[in-house]
Amino acid sequence: QSTIRWRMQTYAGPALAEHVLDPAIEMFNKIAGDRMQIEVFYADQLVPTGELFQAMQRGTIDAVQSDDDSMASPTEVTVFGGYFPFASRYSLDVPVLFNQYGLNEIWDAEYSKVGVKHISAGAWDPCHFATKDPIRSLEDLKGKRVFTFPTAGRFLAQFGVVPVTLPWEDIEVAVQTGELDGIAWSGITEDYTVGWADVTNYFLTNNISGAWIGHFFANMERWNELPEDLQTLFKVCCEQSHYYRQHWYWGGEADLRVNGPKMELTSIPDSEWAQVEAAARVFWDEIAAESETKAKVVEIFKTYNAVMEKAGRPYRYT
Amino acid sequence: MTGLMLKYVGLVDPLNRWIGRIVMYGIFVMMGILLWSSISKTFFLPSLWTLEMAQFAMVAYYILGGPYSIQLGSNVRMDLLYGSWTDRRKAQIDAITVLFLIFYLGILLWGGWDSLMYSFQYGGERSPTAWRPYLWPIKTIMVTGIFLMLLQAISELFKDILRLKGHDVGVKL
Amino acid sequence: MAYEWIAILMFSSMMLMLLTGQRVFGAIGFVAVVAALFLWGDRGGYDLGFSAAMKLMKWYPLLTLPMFIFMGYVLSESRIADDLYKMFHVWMGGLSGGLAVGTIGLMVLISAMNGLSVAGMAIGATIALPELLRRGYDKRMVTGVIQAGSSLGILVPPSVVLVLYAMIARQPVGQLWLAGILPGLMMAAMFVLYIVIRCRITPSLGPVLPKEDRDLPMAEKLRLLRAGLLPLFIFFAMMVPFVNGWTSLVESSAIGALAAFAAAVLKGRMTREVFENSVRNTLGITCMFMWIILAALAFGAVFDGLGAVRAIESLFTEQLGFGPWTILILMQLSFILMGTFLDDTAMLVIVAPLYVPLVDALGFDLIWYGVLYTITTQIAYMTPPFGYNLFLMRAMAPPEITLRDIYGSILPFVLVMVLALTVVMAFPQIALWLPGYVYGF
Ligand code: NA
Ligand code: NA
Repeated sequence: QSTIRWRMQTYAGPALAEHVLDPAIEMFNKIAGDRMQIEVFYADQLVPTGELFQAMQRGTIDAVQSDDDSMASPTEVTVFGGYFPFASRYSLDVPVLFNQYGLNEIWDAEYSKVGVKHISAGAWDPCHFATKDPIRSLEDLKGKRVFTFPTAGRFLAQFGVVPVTLPWEDIEVAVQTGELDGIAWSGITEDYTVGWADVTNYFLTNNISGAWIGHFFANMERWNELPEDLQTLFKVCCEQSHYYRQHWYWGGEADLRVNGPKMELTSIPDSEWAQVEAAARVFWDEIAAESETKAKVVEIFKTYNAVMEKAGRPYRYT
Repeated sequence: MTGLMLKYVGLVDPLNRWIGRIVMYGIFVMMGILLWSSISKTFFLPSLWTLEMAQFAMVAYYILGGPYSIQLGSNVRMDLLYGSWTDRRKAQIDAITVLFLIFYLGILLWGGWDSLMYSFQYGGERSPTAWRPYLWPIKTIMVTGIFLMLLQAISELFKDILRLKGHDVGVKL
Repeated sequence: MAYEWIAILMFSSMMLMLLTGQRVFGAIGFVAVVAALFLWGDRGGYDLGFSAAMKLMKWYPLLTLPMFIFMGYVLSESRIADDLYKMFHVWMGGLSGGLAVGTIGLMVLISAMNGLSVAGMAIGATIALPELLRRGYDKRMVTGVIQAGSSLGILVPPSVVLVLYAMIARQPVGQLWLAGILPGLMMAAMFVLYIVIRCRITPSLGPVLPKEDRDLPMAEKLRLLRAGLLPLFIFFAMMVPFVNGWTSLVESSAIGALAAFAAAVLKGRMTREVFENSVRNTLGITCMFMWIILAALAFGAVFDGLGAVRAIESLFTEQLGFGPWTILILMQLSFILMGTFLDDTAMLVIVAPLYVPLVDALGFDLIWYGVLYTITTQIAYMTPPFGYNLFLMRAMAPPEITLRDIYGSILPFVLVMVLALTVVMAFPQIALWLPGYVYGF
């Protein structure tokens, strides 16, 4: 019996993957031993992120770690990946939405249609602005060229933000060469981990989403060829990866705001930021109008958030 | 056979030359887009589309211009041995090694065709940016350019065969 | 087959393919797609060649490439540099070897206006070369001066090689460009020193210009200095908005191209022929670069997929057990060695991704290494059998200059460059002081 070999590519560069992917895959390889080994490739390494999804459908890449949005998956749920504005407040919201409110089933159905196995979803960090110049009011957002996710960019454009998409690995240099004024892609943990804190000066404490949604996917045929125990092992390692991120990000966000030396914190007053939250609800309805599946997902977000708001503290504070 | 080859060369070379001579003014298109980008950034709001549009222009420029650059002899060769050969020897060796080039272009075309077909599926593939342009136009240009490049490489093969048969088909570059 | 062996096989078949004299991009691309099919052809694999094209599209700093190439052609075709040359001619002619020294000065100014060595070569070969030969300068001295001088084009900003390096090493182009200035000027000074000493020993190599040729009234001499303003104008029109963050890198390159074009038009030099040649040659050279990078990216992706980076790291650090400096020196040596056989652009795209992570892991500064890297590339540009400057010189030189002359001319200058490389290695501050000063760290 020869060793099964998989190629897996993540959207993250090596510095970030050291936390968000490598430990889980090392664990998998250690346990699977001679039976199966997964080789990891980082952002744009084997194929550019824009071609990643079709490469997985074809089987050039066997498995992928990404959100739906930045790799432009050809599904009805693409817009909800990454940061769908204000859909979540905390990173625990994401697993609850997927496991208790039915998102898992929707994602599974959508990806099955295009020949891809959706393995599991997990939460990442909140979405904050890291910029060269301070943002203290909505006015300060105008004209800022910001690296962000496509859907978040569409949403933010109404406030004068100019969204720019570039290869993930080029962001740090693009800020330095003046192609970008800032980044709206992550929380402060990632800013420090990947080096963006070195090229920006300010961190805006208001966020446009509390937790990123990221997934593990596999080519459907490749997945079905795996014996059941290896499938289970893979799922367990993905869950382990999600769990690691829960505490790594949560702890890092608080610690670096308080003790991080590289970025100065600024805020937009809550009353003003309420405009952005209100605009998000309008944006939700626009998206819901696009298709039945999208309407279903938006409905779930609404139901969930209503429950959280009624529950009050510690779930929601306003 | 010789007549067919001559006809082919007489068709493909002028076509690619004509396309190349139009595409070469693309340098001003790129310049214009980038200048507009700096002007709009300085005086108004930065434009959403400039960088990506400039990238599309660049791709069209070098892929569609590729066959003409072969005609101009711009594509360097390592001439440690090649440089010292006679034109006849050059044509002999080239007629064989150009098959490797043709193979490469063929695989490039295969991948490109697949990617192009993909861009028509699922309601049209869009660039994952806030501007969200459809990708099939640029991919169509790329596939067309690669195909023209393939035609030009075959034309180079035919010209070398014709040279070996004693026809005058221009200077060996 | 072990991955290391596939990697070695790929590399050697690429070398072999190059030796056949087929177009460089075809040779590299062929090996890349065959390897991809062989490795991953059971499922996909054939898409790797094309996905390199999509990757290339997203490499936005490459937009500077056609801009700088166009700038270079406008400058050389329109003969804007004639006045510049006259300036050096008159001011430096009194010195033994002075015209050669003046040519280095000319090359430094041209380097500040374009990102490749092509323009410097073209201007040197069309303006300086015939003039120097007519004045009885030694032909080896002259061809050496022009080749060495024009190689400064990639070290003095703007520089396309440093842009490519920046993309691969993920370092800011602005800092890399600034880091190239002092080493570039230092190297120019070392060339000058060599010429002066050499002509002091053997004055017949560079005879003094007759007095009547350079004895202009002082007012006329000063008027000539105005020619030097043009390159300064173009350089600052491009660099000031960029370094201040008003325009981005690619926008600045377009401004530079426009400035050069405007200068040629204003000076009445933009004839139909100049226009045609600049536009056509820009397409030709850009296509050459882009198709090579396209093929090399596919090659690099396969190479990377084989874990070649890790293999090289473990070879140097674990298996051979060398210290950081030994490894660094070995890498530079292997670069020069490979540069004698390999196409320089391809080398950059294929070999730099293998070495840069290692340099980083060894704890060296990647900005500083970028300068070392560029100087090494300059050497590779000039060393036979494969070197762009050699090709260009062969194409542009008058018939009385033989291949032997060209090969023979470069040796002393290559030695000077190796010396410059050593000095920058020993004193990193030569490269790092200026970017540190401007960007404040
Ligand atoms: Na330069
Ligand atoms: Na060389």
